[in-house]
Parts: sequence; structure tokens; C-alpha cells
Amino acid sequence: MAYLHLLRSVRGARDADVVRFGEAGWHIRGEASFGGIVPAPAARVVALGFERGSRRKRVTVAGAIPRRLSDALGAVPSVTFAPVDAEMVRGGPAARRRYLDVTLATTSRRYLTALQAYRGGLLQRNTALRSLARGAGEAAAAAWEPLLAESGAVLWAERAAWVVRWGPELARISAAIGERGVVEMRHAMRYSAASDGVCDEAASPAELAGVLAAALEAGRAGDVRHGATRVGPHRDDLILTLGGRDMRTYGSAGQQRTAAIALRILEAGTLRLGTGAAPVLLFDDPFAELDEGRARAILDVLGGGGDTVGQVILAVPRAADIPLGLTRLERCAIADGVVRGEDGDS
Amino acid sequence: MSAIDELSAEFAKLPGIGRKTALRLTYYLLKRPPEQGRRLAAALVTVADRVRTCEQCYNLTEDPVCSICRDGRREPSLICAVEEAADIGAIERAGEFRGVYHVLGGRLSPLDGVGPDDLTVSQLVARVAAGAVREVILATNPSLEGEATALYVQRQLAGYPLTVSRIARGIPVGGDLEYADGVTIAQALSARREMR
Ligand SMILES: [Zn+2]
Repeated sequence: MAYLHLLRSVRGARDADVVRFGEAGWHIRGEASFGGIVPAPAARVVALGFERGSRRKRVTVAGAIPRRLSDALGAVPSVTFAPVDAEMVRGGPAARRRYLDVTLATTSRRYLTALQAYRGGLLQRNTALRSLARGAGEAAAAAWEPLLAESGAVLWAERAAWVVRWGPELARISAAIGERGVVEMRHAMRYSAASDGVCDEAASPAELAGVLAAALEAGRAGDVRHGATRVGPHRDDLILTLGGRDMRTYGSAGQQRTAAIALRILEAGTLRLGTGAAPVLLFDDPFAELDEGRARAILDVLGGGGDTVGQVILAVPRAADIPLGLTRLERCAIADGVVRGEDGDS
Repeated sequence: MSAIDELSAEFAKLPGIGRKTALRLTYYLLKRPPEQGRRLAAALVTVADRVRTCEQCYNLTEDPVCSICRDGRREPSLICAVEEAADIGAIERAGEFRGVYHVLGGRLSPLDGVGPDDLTVSQLVARVAAGAVREVILATNPSLEGEATALYVQRQLAGYPLTVSRIARGIPVGGDLEYADGVTIAQALSARREMR
């Protein structure tokens, strides 16, 4: 299901690696009907196939082939939590930027377009910076700055707006799970090579484009020496704090894991608002390292989320990992790739 | 290298022609009367000798100044900037545009080794600086490089008293102007938007 949503493996596996040994390719098909907000999108069937021979991915949405793979992004909304997600909270900013990009690009067409333009433009500017030694001139790098400023400003504005919109929800979910300190998040905008800033909520994209254009110009000479662009949204961070202290360094393993789960629930909420459909939540082994109280609280948050989340699928390695007292869950066992109901009848 | 190998090696340098097709073209010509091969060779020599770029707009022409720039019925204060000379043909076929052109000579792409100095942007700025230009329409392709080029040219023209506009997004993103149909181009031109 998560494969259908992002059109690639959530674990970052290459498509060819997912092909079962000895088979020519794979094919999956998902059907989604959406409840909730009116007007809900019509039921959609998304099919995705991969051929090992041609290394090609084919997607159809409601029977039609979208013009580009990106047009099919988000057709079947789902959100996955995997144990490695704690790295989002614990690790470097790249994973948090990826989280923001995936969350926003699947819900905002404008963000996705800006992200594609920004990434392409960044590659071109960096190439120009590195070719300076061959006498191409600083002008070649500067020529890409208007495009970077325009597209980067959209990324900054939408990231800042998202943090403002979902910050209180993060605090609420974290408290419900049992975090005693206040959990907050902050969008750190990299607008100078030396320091971060906080995006002014009131700033318009035009003003932000001006800020980014000036920052790129000011940093250009230094960028030439480094051979890379050192300011802009690709250097942003999403800073998570617990009781005012950075969770990266001060959070315990359990707190970091809980925060990662909370971020996935926010992602589901964003998808819910953006697509009008409650996404399927896939939780892969969410309770490892958590005490039973927290595990129970997380299930309560998921269950009490109203229509924010749709179906929740929990995958745990051992039946004993599911907290006691959760008898209302429907259980399936998977062995050798075959899904069975617990009674063995399906 | 044999004469056959030499010709097919030349064909293979052309865009969209692989080694197999190059050989097929070579053997095709060898099966035709020799006169056909001679006519092709003569046409290639004539093009190489006679065709040059227009002194004003960098369109391809056999004269110092192209026929569009010389046409007194066209509006010289309205300039449509395109990436390649081939784009002019596409816009002319749409039959709506009454101004003149400026061929930029490509699009910005450091990955392909193309920087601003490889384009005729400074020559466009010089045409504008000479006065009497009311509007520049940027008709670069709707690709990332085309957009970057349009934004770059717009910034270079920012100090001058004129309107700079961008053709509307009627052309599919990633599509080439050269291959768009006339109706699409006419709509994209008439729905052009002023750039801030
Ligand atoms: Zn001319």
C-alpha cells in the first residue's frame, strides 16, 4: 500500500531489488475509496508495475497512464512508520527535510512544482560553480539565482506555514502519548551561510524570494570556493524540542521514537486535509523500546483521531508485542508471503 | 576508413540517428542513381557556404539581415525572444505574431556547458538599449532551463522602460515550442503575462 502512494519503496530499496528472485518483475494494484470530507475524490485504482528487463516503472491511475510519474503521486494516500524513523528525530537535518518535502509535495501541487524546479536549478548552479575553474565565469552561476529564488521562496513559505499550522497539533499528540514536557517544532531557514533564521510568518513569497536572491548573491564568492550552494531551503532544518531542549541531543530513545510517530500522525493529518481522504496508516513494529503505557496511549491517539486517519495497519514481529487488552484488533499472520486470518480461514 | 564507413560515420553524428540507421541511409543512397547523392552533397555545400545568422536577430538567413527584420509591415518595437531559429518557423506557422524576433542561441544549462556568455542575451539588451522597443516576449521552452533563461533575461532587462512578458503555459511543460501546434502557440502568445 505504501508502495502505491509514493511509487517507490518506503525502505528506500531500489525497484529492481524488490523483484522476487527469479521473477521478471512485479505488479501491484490498489483500490481506494475515500470517505470523509465532501466532495471526496472518486474511488481510484492505481496499478504499478516494474519490469526487470527494461527497468521501467508503469503506473496507471483509474486506468489512464499519467503524463508523468509525479502526477500519480498521492493517488492512494498512505503513511508508513518504520523503526528507522527514529533517525528522523535523532539524525541530521536531511531526513527531516525529506519528511517535510514528502509531506508537502504529496499535498501541494505548487510545492511539488517548486521542489522540482529548485532541485534542478540547484544542480545547475552547483555545476556552474564547479566549472568556474575552467573559466566559465561567475555569471553562469548567478544566472540560475532568479529561478532558485522564485522556487525556493515557495518552499520556505509553505514549510513555514505548515509548521505554524501543525505545531500545536504536535504538542497535543505528544502530550496525549504521555510526554511530560512540551514538544515544539521550529522551521530553521538557512538564509546565510553562517546562521539560520526563523521565517517571518507574514513574509510574502515575493519578499522571501528577495531574501533568498540576496543571500545567494552574498554567498556566491564563498560558494565558488566550496563548490556548492550553501544557502537555501536545501539546507533548512526542522528543529524539534522537548521542554525547550533539542530532541536530537537531549531526547531519550523512547522520546525520539514517540516524536517520530507523532510526525507520522501529522503527515497523515496533512494528507487528510490536502486530499480529502483519510490515509491508511502502516505502523511497522511501533512499540519496540516503548513501555506499555506509551504503546497503549499511541493506540488511543490513533483510535481517537476521529477521521484524521483511516485504517491503521500494525505490523509486529511477535504477537506478544501487542499490548494486552487490545482484543478489538483484527489480527492476521503472515508466513511465507501469505496472509492468513488468525483462525486460518482466510 | 572506407568511403562507405566515412559517410555512415557522418550520418551517425546527426541527432536521432544511430549507427544502424546511418548504415541504412548510406546503403539506400548507394542503391539510388548517383545523381541523387550529388544533389544532396551540393545542397549541403550550399547551406554551409551561404547560410549565416542575421545581424539583428540571429535568425538563419542567406542575407546580412533576414527577411523578417527587413519586412516593413512588421512591428520592430515588439520582440519575441526564442531559443533556436527553428522556433521562429513554428511561431510563423501560427500566423498571429506581427513583431520581430531575437534568437538567443540556446538555453542556460551548465550541465551542458552553456552559460550566459554562450547566448545572445547581451545583444538583446543592446537592441533594447538602442531604444524604440516597447515589449519583449520571452518564448523560451517551458522546461526548467527555458524558465531559468527567461528569468535571467528578464533580470537583465529590468532597468529599461519596457514590458517584459512570458508566453502562457499553453505549451505542455517539458514540450518544445518547435513541436507545438499553431493553435497552441497562438493561444500561448495572446495569453502572455507580464513578468514582475
Ligand atoms: Zn533578423
